[in-house]
Amino acid sequence: MAAAQTLLGPVLLLVACFAFVFWPQEKLSAEVEKTRLDYLRERKDVIYENLRDLNFEFRAGKYPEEDYLQQRTTLEAEASTVVSEMEALGG
Amino acid sequence: MLRRCLHVLAICVFALTVLGASSDDTRVDKIGHKLVCQCGCGQILMECNHVGCPVSPVMIDELKAQVAAGLAETVVLKFFITKYGPISLAAPMRGGFDNVAWIVPFAVLLLATVGVAFLIRYWRKRHAGLPAPSSVGTAALPLPSVQDRIRRETDYDNWSEK
Amino acid sequence: MPHPMPSFGSFSLILALALCVYSLAAGALALYAIAHGKPLAVPPERLRETARRAGIASFVAVTGAAVALVWASFTNDYSVAYILHHTNRDLNAAYKFSALWSGQEGSLLLWAWLLAAYGFVLRVRHKVDVTLSAYASTILAGVQIFFLLLLNFAAPPFSIAPGPVANDGFGLNPLLQYPEMVIHPPMLYLGYVGFTIPFAFALGALMMRYPGEKWIHITRRWTMVTWLFLTCGICLGMHWAYAVLGWGGYWGWDPVENASFLPWLTGTAFLHSVMMQEKRGMMKAWNVWLIFATFMLSILGTLLTRSGIVSSVHAFAQSSIGNWFTTFLVIVFVICLFTFFYQRDHLRSENKLESLVSRESSFLFNNLILLAACFTVLWGTLFPVLSEFYDGSKVTMGPPYFNRVMVPVGLLLILLTGAGPLLPWRSTSFRAIRRNFVLPCIAIVATAIVCMAAGVRPWQDDDASGGIYALVCFALSAGVITAIGAEFLRGAGVVRTQSGRNLFSSGILLVRRNTRRYGGYLIHFGVIVMFIGLAGSAFNQSKELEMSFGDTIQLGNWRIVCQSYSQDSNANFDTDFALLDVYHGNKKVTQLTPERRFYTASQTTSTMVAIHSTLARDIYIVFEGRNPDTDRPIIKVFLNPLVNWIWIGVFIVILGTGIALTPPLLPVARRVEVPTAAAEAAHA
Repeated sequence: MAAAQTLLGPVLLLVACFAFVFWPQEKLSAEVEKTRLDYLRERKDVIYENLRDLNFEFRAGKYPEEDYLQQRTTLEAEASTVVSEMEALGG
Repeated sequence: MLRRCLHVLAICVFALTVLGASSDDTRVDKIGHKLVCQCGCGQILMECNHVGCPVSPVMIDELKAQVAAGLAETVVLKFFITKYGPISLAAPMRGGFDNVAWIVPFAVLLLATVGVAFLIRYWRKRHAGLPAPSSVGTAALPLPSVQDRIRRETDYDNWSEK
Repeated sequence: MPHPMPSFGSFSLILALALCVYSLAAGALALYAIAHGKPLAVPPERLRETARRAGIASFVAVTGAAVALVWASFTNDYSVAYILHHTNRDLNAAYKFSALWSGQEGSLLLWAWLLAAYGFVLRVRHKVDVTLSAYASTILAGVQIFFLLLLNFAAPPFSIAPGPVANDGFGLNPLLQYPEMVIHPPMLYLGYVGFTIPFAFALGALMMRYPGEKWIHITRRWTMVTWLFLTCGICLGMHWAYAVLGWGGYWGWDPVENASFLPWLTGTAFLHSVMMQEKRGMMKAWNVWLIFATFMLSILGTLLTRSGIVSSVHAFAQSSIGNWFTTFLVIVFVICLFTFFYQRDHLRSENKLESLVSRESSFLFNNLILLAACFTVLWGTLFPVLSEFYDGSKVTMGPPYFNRVMVPVGLLLILLTGAGPLLPWRSTSFRAIRRNFVLPCIAIVATAIVCMAAGVRPWQDDDASGGIYALVCFALSAGVITAIGAEFLRGAGVVRTQSGRNLFSSGILLVRRNTRRYGGYLIHFGVIVMFIGLAGSAFNQSKELEMSFGDTIQLGNWRIVCQSYSQDSNANFDTDFALLDVYHGNKKVTQLTPERRFYTASQTTSTMVAIHSTLARDIYIVFEGRNPDTDRPIIKVFLNPLVNWIWIGVFIVILGTGIALTPPLLPVARRVEVPTAAAEAAHA
């Protein structure tokens, strides 16, 4: 009786774990391979955030005017490359 | 003006004499903070708080005797090194290899600073070799409509919440 | 088999090991097959799913083992050697629970359980990025295997005590019978263990050549939460040392403390420099190595303190498991090195540093200082080993060493904390922001003058260095706080102009729009407050006296008068205590009762410090014991200025991290009607 009691827990745990791991899965979680579009979207978000930050910090008095304009141009150029490619991909 | 200078000088001299004439007690306290209790507690000798500690009272008495005899700090420390080993010093101060312990951290900090400075220089040089950002901008000159959109979407004035 | 619970625990551990081995093998095979398009007998996606589920199941199994140990502790099952050695019948319930981590086997089980729990969350939330999560989960399974091997073969927590079952246990180390000790180890372990997750993500992202920097975004919360746990764990440890050990201090540069500080330093460096990667695509290789180093340092810490390589006062558990850790560390290092060289072309920087006065370079120097600090602590911890190796002489690296080399580094760090946030990203000139430095500089000078006027004149002291450092620290801290405040006000001003709200609600809106930045500033503020508290230690005073009724100790303006002393006892311990009145000038402020306890089960004594704490100072009284000759109590009084600021600083850091973790308000660009050509024509 005592032996049965001792064995009960481990056996239950073993069966439960085994069943959970190997239970046939109806559907696997959809494979979301990252597309080029996803990647571009992430890039766009980052560049946009940098641009917003730049605009904000300019207003907070951290950039001289010409510095700000030059950096905005660079970032906007980066962003437009990404946006154009996204539009070409239909995003 | 002269009087004032003399005044300052007098204060300095006074301060120096006061500083120089540290009593035995403060010397014991000062040297005792450079030693470690050897009972295994690992505490600074003067901070050892184990009542009935078999070691620290003995060490403190030895220290007091040495100081009372008017011995210099280095001599006193040497006495403890010979008696208890270099482990009785709270920090390595024997010269020789012990100096390495002190030099290396600062040397590493210095070398690393120089290294970072060189790295930045190298990066900037490489950067200078690349086409300037503005020309990158011209190379991929944004379409006016796209640029307008980007500017609109990132303008801080246009920031509002849902 | 007469021991149902211990056998269940042992079995659970074996099962967990098997599940993790399966998770690693199946996961690795499936990922290899998917990456290289190799066909397998089962679809690799299905195999990968079973690997994930095996990982989840391993959490259940390890939980089973942990429950079994706690159960054994609560049911006083002294057939288990671990329970016998770490608890006793009369132990308070909370401490019975904490027995789980008061010895080596138990703390390893806690470590394995926390690892499995983190893994559980990671595996359940795998939809964030299925492939990357699968890589991370597989790497995590590898780490889990190591700890489960230890638990199954090197330090089994359920081994049965030889001989007949004892009636009572040997009790818990009295030093550990303190509320903080119930939460300090789990907090610290949550920190140590937590770094495994960003490590696994970073290694996985590198292995799979993850496109972009999104993985940083995914792991950011993990890293910050982990960092917070580690910070809290370290600070709880400090508070425990302060309130329990009775030597009047909170940080003794002991190897165990240093071990927890090392990954904190590299982890902090990682949290900063990873922003450069996220925002600018820079320093990718560096970041990867920072997180590798952080993970390896948290393992190294355990190795150092458990293997006996470095002797420590409070290594509660020393044994031969050092070899296991060394082997594991070498394996991890080789895997990291191999992956790095194999995939290093994936880590090219996208942007270049443009100027010395940009935020980027301030991050570089921040990393430099933090890593130099990390190296110094590691160097100081290991130097005794080196010295013994060099000429056979054992040396001590005590607080005097660390204070002397680390304080200048700390001051540099304060300086950068202040300067960094003032510098803009990508900036190329200092011109525009020069005026932003004026106010902080004024604050520095003004504070220095005020401090000197208020009597902080360290050059008049016998040993001036501590006081001078403290003075510099106060002045710099004032500068940093001014810089943070001004930065915040400038930001709020921008929002006010833009939104038309009042300054207060603009400030709130500002924080909500960029929780990360302003949470970060708040963390900086908290750290500075902690630094102020730490600097207070330069002015500590103490006095020790054997006291009988009516005796007094005078310390500055404070007078401690002994009212009486008495004894008491309960089932767990006997106690000796003194009733002391504390006077400031002629006014009685409070009565304190420092105690000395004798724990019956473990036959050991321990002090209970009495502390009267205010913002300005702590009166800290220790009942050190009785003079064996006179039977009179020996009382030591400490006057520790500003200690409370440290704990307040910790709360600010927690608050700041909370804000930084809150998702920010997302901007919705206001719809601007773009006039079409037709409309324009009509308008015209």
